[in-house]
Amino acid sequence: MTAITLQKSAWLGAMASRGFFVSTFLFGLLFGAAAAAAGITHWQALLMSATVFSASAQFAALEFWVAPLPLFTILLSVFLVSTRNILLGMSMTHHLDGHSLGRRMLWLALLTDPAVVSTLRLDRPMEKLGYLTGFGLALLVSWILSTMAGFLAASHLAVVNTESLRFAGPLVMATMLMLFARGNGRQLPAWLLSGVIAIVLLESGAPDWMILPLAVLAGASWTLLREASRAR
Amino acid sequence: MPDNTDVLLVIGAMALVVYLTRVSGYLLGLQVRHIGSLRPVLETLPGCALVAILAPAAWRGSVVELVALASVIALMWFTDSVVLASVVGVGILLGADPLSGLFFAWAGFS
Repeated sequence: MTAITLQKSAWLGAMASRGFFVSTFLFGLLFGAAAAAAGITHWQALLMSATVFSASAQFAALEFWVAPLPLFTILLSVFLVSTRNILLGMSMTHHLDGHSLGRRMLWLALLTDPAVVSTLRLDRPMEKLGYLTGFGLALLVSWILSTMAGFLAASHLAVVNTESLRFAGPLVMATMLMLFARGNGRQLPAWLLSGVIAIVLLESGAPDWMILPLAVLAGASWTLLREASRAR
Repeated sequence: MPDNTDVLLVIGAMALVVYLTRVSGYLLGLQVRHIGSLRPVLETLPGCALVAILAPAAWRGSVVELVALASVIALMWFTDSVVLASVVGVGILLGADPLSGLFFAWAGFS
């Protein structure tokens, strides 16, 4: 089978991102409007979107955006909502070979949930670093443009009750999960176990920061045990 | 209004924290990649993380949110269209709020 070049893979990644380009744009509109409401200037909002490039982290920071800025509180909340990136990065361990570590470190700045999910479900030979980069760059463009559009349209978007959109994040995750589920049926029991453990921890009053790592640990342990029993 | 220097410092620090979460998992994975049986475990992680975030949100979700979630799952299952599922899902969330009809009119969705 013919190998696909890095540039071609990047282009295919950008093209594959178009579904999430739209949902990213919607979130960016809301972030731009929310940033304007929080008193952030347009260039500061653009700088944040261009360098942080994370909807969950940026929305979390806005919750604490008052003078004087509480640096530690903001960074802690940003870290907590970004911990899933550590897991996403780990899942890419076997997929980015053939490039210098420096190049991998550079382009991993564009790592996002949809890009990882799309990369992992690829069923054809591909330069996965290129694919991941093209996918991420397209979403970055969407994120920056929509931040600007949302900022400029803030007065129009003010009529939206953003509280009704608090569930929009989980909906985006559901779309990613459904994409991921195709061809990954073997992983379903581990995912279900993680979900059940997360709900049990939630109901037992466990601190929010503890739910994600413990639930994922349960799912990962199940997979490890399954692999061990197969190897025997 | 926060001081300009403070804003730059906070944005820079936020970018650094998010970047470190993105690369640290990969670097950690490189240290254990020689253990072959860990590969399936590593590839299970994103799905587990997504479900671990989604499940509690759904558990505490309102009827409208659960309808939106069921619609997204059904549309993804039958059409595999992220755009359609996202627009319908968010539309259900916004449509439950009468004021938000204005957003649809403004955005040209109606």
